[in-house]
Amino acid sequence: MTTVLETARYEGRRRLRGAAILTAGVSAYSGFIVWYFSVLEGIDYEDVFEDLPPAMLEAFGIESLSTVEGFLGAQVFNFVWLLGLGLYFAYIGGGAVAGDVESERMDLLLAFPVSRARLLAEKFAALLVPMIAVNAVGGPIIYLFVLAIGESVSVANLFFAHLLSIPYLLVCAGIGFAFSVAVDRASIAERAAVGTVFVLYLVESVVGGADAYDWIQYLSPTQYYEPTPILIEGTYEIIDTAILLVAFAGLFILSQALFERRDI
Amino acid sequence: MSDEAAAPEGNPVAAPDDPPLVVEGLTKDYGSVLANDDVSFTVHRGEIFGFLGPNGAGKSTTIRLLLGLLKPTAGTARVLGADIRDEAALTAVKGRIGYLPAHLGFDEEATGKAVLDYHGAIKGEGRRDELLEIFTPPVERPIREYSTGNKRMLGLVQAFMHDPELVVMDEPTSGLDPLKQEGFNEFIRRERDRGTTIFFSSHVLSEVRRVCDRVGILRGGSLVELEGVEALLHRSGKHVRVHADDAAVAALTALDGVVDAEPFSEGAQFIYAGDPNALLDELARHDIRDVEIGEPPIEDVFVHYYGSEEPGRRGPETAVDPGDDGA
Repeated sequence: MTTVLETARYEGRRRLRGAAILTAGVSAYSGFIVWYFSVLEGIDYEDVFEDLPPAMLEAFGIESLSTVEGFLGAQVFNFVWLLGLGLYFAYIGGGAVAGDVESERMDLLLAFPVSRARLLAEKFAALLVPMIAVNAVGGPIIYLFVLAIGESVSVANLFFAHLLSIPYLLVCAGIGFAFSVAVDRASIAERAAVGTVFVLYLVESVVGGADAYDWIQYLSPTQYYEPTPILIEGTYEIIDTAILLVAFAGLFILSQALFERRDI
Repeated sequence: MSDEAAAPEGNPVAAPDDPPLVVEGLTKDYGSVLANDDVSFTVHRGEIFGFLGPNGAGKSTTIRLLLGLLKPTAGTARVLGADIRDEAALTAVKGRIGYLPAHLGFDEEATGKAVLDYHGAIKGEGRRDELLEIFTPPVERPIREYSTGNKRMLGLVQAFMHDPELVVMDEPTSGLDPLKQEGFNEFIRRERDRGTTIFFSSHVLSEVRRVCDRVGILRGGSLVELEGVEALLHRSGKHVRVHADDAAVAALTALDGVVDAEPFSEGAQFIYAGDPNALLDELARHDIRDVEIGEPPIEDVFVHYYGSEEPGRRGPETAVDPGDDGA
């Protein structure tokens, strides 16, 4: 019998449609933002945002809206990748296992000659389909949009902004996954995961400015992925990526341990 | 366990003559509910074993324990030689087990074909085409369009297509129409004759009677009795509902073997466990407006034979039929 990642392949195929819709939606939004940048060109942003409090500038990742990199960082990456995709992967991670338990599909899957650990790993692997699609297809599309309005963006910086989003999105999916193995109902796991990621996003944004509680921001995965500096200057902290990967590994091991012990 | 004394204790590898299913004191305690209470029985190679009980008796719990979906609170079982508490050992033998759950949670968006391809790639599908000639789910259509019966047939194909040694089915005939049900009965008899061991649960007494070599009865989480089908057939009686005048009702309910007689305005109903000829003779003697003789509801059978109280702990194998030595 050939059991070479059959579950990952099957589940991955089930995710293709969602991945295509997600990628199309994100690409369309990015196209709109890039076009909008070309319309707004010439406006003095420093004046526009002069009156905003620093905390708000920080929250929205507004560093330099007068360049296309800064505009993309604020309007596409901080908004779509950090918040939108973070919530999306928390959501689909939340449904990944609990949905099958709820529909009793898990009964059939666990009757396979495949260990629980491997089944869970393959189910998680299927979440990589939309994660990779939105970056691998969305990235080049954003690049082409930028070229189309006669601007330019560093290919290397854009590449790293996408690549380094993967560990962040893995953590969001991992939060969803941990909820998904812990509860029996998909809707509860999905809501808990989305709520958790959203609260962590808010915590980082709000507490970032306050010195007394600034340690709290380090709990949020959003702290460890900052796309705007990557896009503008090509700067990032490799330790941040390492922290995200360790956090993901922790969530994944926790999910495995919970799944191994639970009754289905 | 008298009939599996030869099996060495705790041996992870099935000896050739090791029974495919040995359940030993299996207990699942959910705190508020004792779903399985010290259940013990053995299923022999090449027999059809019926696991009978009313809804909520804990049949599904036993089945889910046997497949490793649930962890036992106490006791254990060996399935094709693998201890159910040992995940690696149980996983290793799962390729030789077919499983049909009570509720088939197939991926609704996929076609039957896609699901069978996936199951086949993991378990094997040597008998897929042959089975699709017997059971005929519309495999080209998405499963969300399937009727309950079609889902059940797809479930049967996936349960048998890798030619397993042991097939475990939870209420396999629910949702099948009577014709398909008869086809199913014939099918599992043929499978039994090729040497497959079949273990299935049911709450329908007549179904179990028709096809099973041996029967275990579960009630309130405990195995009440393990007996041959003949004994069960003999003992369970018929449910009789008769519309007639008072004199006829009085004569009928006075027959030997009448229990639980309940008169109503134009007749009576009762369970009859006596000689069928005596009942028919008595019926022929009166002016009967209408009569139904049928299967007694399983709960009535239990109440009649085991009392209305939930069973306590008792020896599970009060009676094992002698003719259970299936090849």
